[in-house]
Amino acid sequence: MSNGKSPAFYNNPHVRALVYQTLLLAGLGWFMFSIVSNTLANMEARGIRTGFDFLGNVAGFDILMSLVPYDASKTYFDTFIVGLLNTVLVSVIGIVFSTLLGFVMGVANFSSNWLIRKLSVLYVEVFRNIPVLLQIFFWYFAVLAALPNARNSISLGEAIFLNIRGLYLPKPVAEPGAGLVYGAIVVALVGIVVLKVWAKRKQDRDGSQLPVLWMSLGMLVGLPLLAFMVAGAPFTLDFPTLRGFNFQGGITVIPELMALSVALSIYTGAFIAEAVRAGVQAVPHGQTEAARSLGLRDGQIMKLIVVPQAMRVIVPLLNSEYQSLVKNSTLATAIGYPDLFTVFVGTSLNQTGQAIEIVAMTLTVYFTVNMLISLGMNLLNRKVALVERK
Amino acid sequence: MTANSVPSKIFTPKAARPAPVKTTGAVAWMRQNLFNGWFNTILTLAIVVGVGSVLPAMLDWVFLSASFSGAAQADCTGTGACWVFINAWSQQLFYGTYPAEEIWRINICVVLMAGVLSAPVWLPHHLRNRVDIALLLLFPLVAVVIMDGRLLGLQYVSTDHWGGFTFNVMLAAVSMILGMPLGFLWALGRRSTSMPMIRSICVVLIEFFRGVPILALFFMGSVMLPLFFPEGTTVDKLLRVWIVLVLFMAGYMAEVYRGGFQAIPKGQYEAADSLGLSYWQTTLLVILPQVIKVSMPNILATAVMLFKNTTFLLIIGVPEVLNTAQSALNNSAWLGGYASEAYLFVGFVFWCCCFGMSMVSNHIERKLDTTRR
Amino acid sequence: MLKKTAMLAIGLTAGVSLSAQAGTLEDVQKRGVVSCGVSTGLAGFSQKDEKGQWSGMDVDVCRAVAAAVFGDDTKVQYKPLTAKERFTALQSGEVDILSRNTTWTQSRDTSLGLNFVGVNYYDGQGFMVSKKLGVKSALELDGATVCIQAGTTTELNLADYFRANGLKYTAITFDTSDQTRAAFESGRCDVLTSDQSQLYALRIGLQKPDEAIVLPEVISKEPLGPAVRQGDDVWFNIAKWSLAAMIEAESLGITSKNAADLVASGTPDQKRFLGVEGDFGKNMGISNDWAKNITLKVGNYGESFERNVGQGSPLKIARGLNAQWNQGGILYSWPIR
Repeated sequence: MSNGKSPAFYNNPHVRALVYQTLLLAGLGWFMFSIVSNTLANMEARGIRTGFDFLGNVAGFDILMSLVPYDASKTYFDTFIVGLLNTVLVSVIGIVFSTLLGFVMGVANFSSNWLIRKLSVLYVEVFRNIPVLLQIFFWYFAVLAALPNARNSISLGEAIFLNIRGLYLPKPVAEPGAGLVYGAIVVALVGIVVLKVWAKRKQDRDGSQLPVLWMSLGMLVGLPLLAFMVAGAPFTLDFPTLRGFNFQGGITVIPELMALSVALSIYTGAFIAEAVRAGVQAVPHGQTEAARSLGLRDGQIMKLIVVPQAMRVIVPLLNSEYQSLVKNSTLATAIGYPDLFTVFVGTSLNQTGQAIEIVAMTLTVYFTVNMLISLGMNLLNRKVALVERK
Repeated sequence: MTANSVPSKIFTPKAARPAPVKTTGAVAWMRQNLFNGWFNTILTLAIVVGVGSVLPAMLDWVFLSASFSGAAQADCTGTGACWVFINAWSQQLFYGTYPAEEIWRINICVVLMAGVLSAPVWLPHHLRNRVDIALLLLFPLVAVVIMDGRLLGLQYVSTDHWGGFTFNVMLAAVSMILGMPLGFLWALGRRSTSMPMIRSICVVLIEFFRGVPILALFFMGSVMLPLFFPEGTTVDKLLRVWIVLVLFMAGYMAEVYRGGFQAIPKGQYEAADSLGLSYWQTTLLVILPQVIKVSMPNILATAVMLFKNTTFLLIIGVPEVLNTAQSALNNSAWLGGYASEAYLFVGFVFWCCCFGMSMVSNHIERKLDTTRR
Repeated sequence: MLKKTAMLAIGLTAGVSLSAQAGTLEDVQKRGVVSCGVSTGLAGFSQKDEKGQWSGMDVDVCRAVAAAVFGDDTKVQYKPLTAKERFTALQSGEVDILSRNTTWTQSRDTSLGLNFVGVNYYDGQGFMVSKKLGVKSALELDGATVCIQAGTTTELNLADYFRANGLKYTAITFDTSDQTRAAFESGRCDVLTSDQSQLYALRIGLQKPDEAIVLPEVISKEPLGPAVRQGDDVWFNIAKWSLAAMIEAESLGITSKNAADLVASGTPDQKRFLGVEGDFGKNMGISNDWAKNITLKVGNYGESFERNVGQGSPLKIARGLNAQWNQGGILYSWPIR
């Protein structure tokens, strides 16, 4: 170095980086190649078919619950779609309810009622520390299994029935004129967005706040209701009735869905409650005191000062909790809820034996769903972060 | 000052009146904490009524009318829980089908594990860094050798007999121990700026193992992995599952470390550079200890998650504790429906361990928290 | 680095085994145990007791093979397998014989690289319903909810049967028999369908077994049998004849109790079976007293049946199809001579 020579080429960081990467790539390439060639050789030796042709074959089995028309004469691709939709359904339900429960229980930690505080702590510590699979078993085999049979259903006004087979609700059936109601809902949604923008402008201009939440709710309920009356009640209700073995008609919520949603919501809710607690605690006490000295009411302090700051901590945590909820929904297979895992990796894989294709498709789906959640939460995160900087 | 200057009147305070009942004692506490306002009163009463209606029946089922002693189904005479079932199957629930006379080997492993994991507490200060890491990395090896027994000249116990709750514990511990350094490497790779290929490979690995359900990974391990090996090679199912768990853990740990890295001030790198430390010296001696310290609560939370997730192995038929419980429920000598007892027991055991771990985590968090006094 | 290498080496010795490309018999003899794939827990067929001892009809086949090869029925390494893993485990050499309640079908026999060696239980899919429903035949089950224990053929058979008869139904699929039973018991479904042998096991497990009946309809043929890898005739023969010997022992009247005496006093048939005369074991590459060992250690088919699923067990299943051909069943083994 001192005699002006440049360092040896093998000490050049760029050269090193190149060498390392080439070595790694070569190793990885060899690894992948041997796996692929082994797999192909093995599959050939064992007479396992390859390719995605099986997706077009008739599945030949039935599925307990489907959001799209399905019967045993549909193809394996249809079983994939049915399972996918069921997974999305339970994930959405779980995310909504775990968020509600988590926020309520997280805030309950700061209640002035001693029992409520303890209840919140008890809830978090009990449900967070027991494997979710056990909780699913508990709700399904211990709690829901104790419901009465179809003939002795718990009923609410002969319209809603609850028994071991599920929750039966009346189903609205659209008749001519229903389009008006759908239209009213769309108009209400648009109106809410307009209202929100306008209220924001107004607040920026003169500082006055509008009760946006109540006005929005009013629009969302009022407009469709108005349309409903104008069009002369274009919906009839299809009530569930007991015929033969089961209730027929109406909407059925199967107990597998209930048990899975309840277990996932409660389990994930415990983690969200913990996140909310951490978020609220992270807001310095001085903020609340300063707000109070400005004369803000308690509700305003929560809404305008504490929550926006707490959200900065909560949102990244929510992201990973939502993702783990979606991943844990695969445990549906333990109680027979027909999610993607049960239907596709379970029955379809059993029938076709094409493990690689089916597992790869399933992994892709879960990976994509989690990426979407991540994307959405990152957008939300950016929004709450901006609020802080202003 | 003199004797005749005795003051004519001395102020003698009256004995203080007791504080009003409403501000001290149990009544006041209840007024403040349970019945302040109509809303809280309603909530309090609702909780009391709820607990009061459920608790007696539960206690009765669990303790008063339960059967405790005996060895067979016929001994379940009470109307409550039949803990005889748990009693009869306890050895398998904890140790799997490991030979009874060799169970001391599992116990040794568990003790070793506890010793190794608590090493930072009892090791003398100057030994901690070097010895601790060596101990940690050696543990999986030692545990496998002891459990397997062939290298030590003990009776060979094949992996088919490893099972039960201790198996959940050990599997979680060894996966954790191996996943941590691997995850650190991945996290380093992800941070690398000069080697884009390595970075993208690490990103793909981390995101893959974090983004897919562990159940799907277990399925890969049990159904797909055997196809990946050359013909004639069989890899033990346990080893396959273990590989999956280690990789899964590495993905999660890499993400935990990433948060830790972000908390390290740039000055630390600059200071290390100015001291002339190499990349690896900087990373291992300056950065790693701080990253671990900052991420400790998250590391423990991830460990608890991994531990709970070992129950998912039930679904691919690995004889962990829940699987053992289910096969016990299916035994033709015990077909009486003891599912509640079994699940409650397993849940309780898990709860104790996980709650204990979260207590430890809280303790460490408080101890490491040097920012607040 | 050294540590990692050492660890890898240990891991490899502990978990990875390279089976030599020689025959399965040599591998098994070198290893000292037969590796046998069984179900993770199926009452009467393969179950573990409190001590971890395996028993059951399927397990007895494993024991018979071990007794034939080693003269010792305990030299078996049981590998509990789920329904999905079973064929992969056999194909990859993880197990030497798959005795896991597996239906012998044409597609499995021809396209999965395995060979069935015989039938150790003739089964068929049936239905169990609660007595309270008053149902006498499966044809009255229109609109019912059916609990299925996930198998590979069960769901298809059910769908076929209901479609063929123009009946509607709702199906719920469970992974394990315990879950299926719990769901049936709680009233989640009206009907439980599974192989008949399992229906009896499930019925016994109910809190009130008398309140459930098994319907007379059998909607499928389920010949359950052990299987070995294709392309190893020596091992195929040993497995095939181990099973056959159990059945043949019963038809010859040889039991675990009288086998030792019959060595001296038996008929020529019995003596040939017990290895006193002829080289029947040697022809397969094992000792001549193989069949005697099977009978002594495991018992004949009838003993195994009664002990595991018959009158000697809580299941109390009648022999039915699984009786010898001259007693109303269809068991008919090939003569050993």
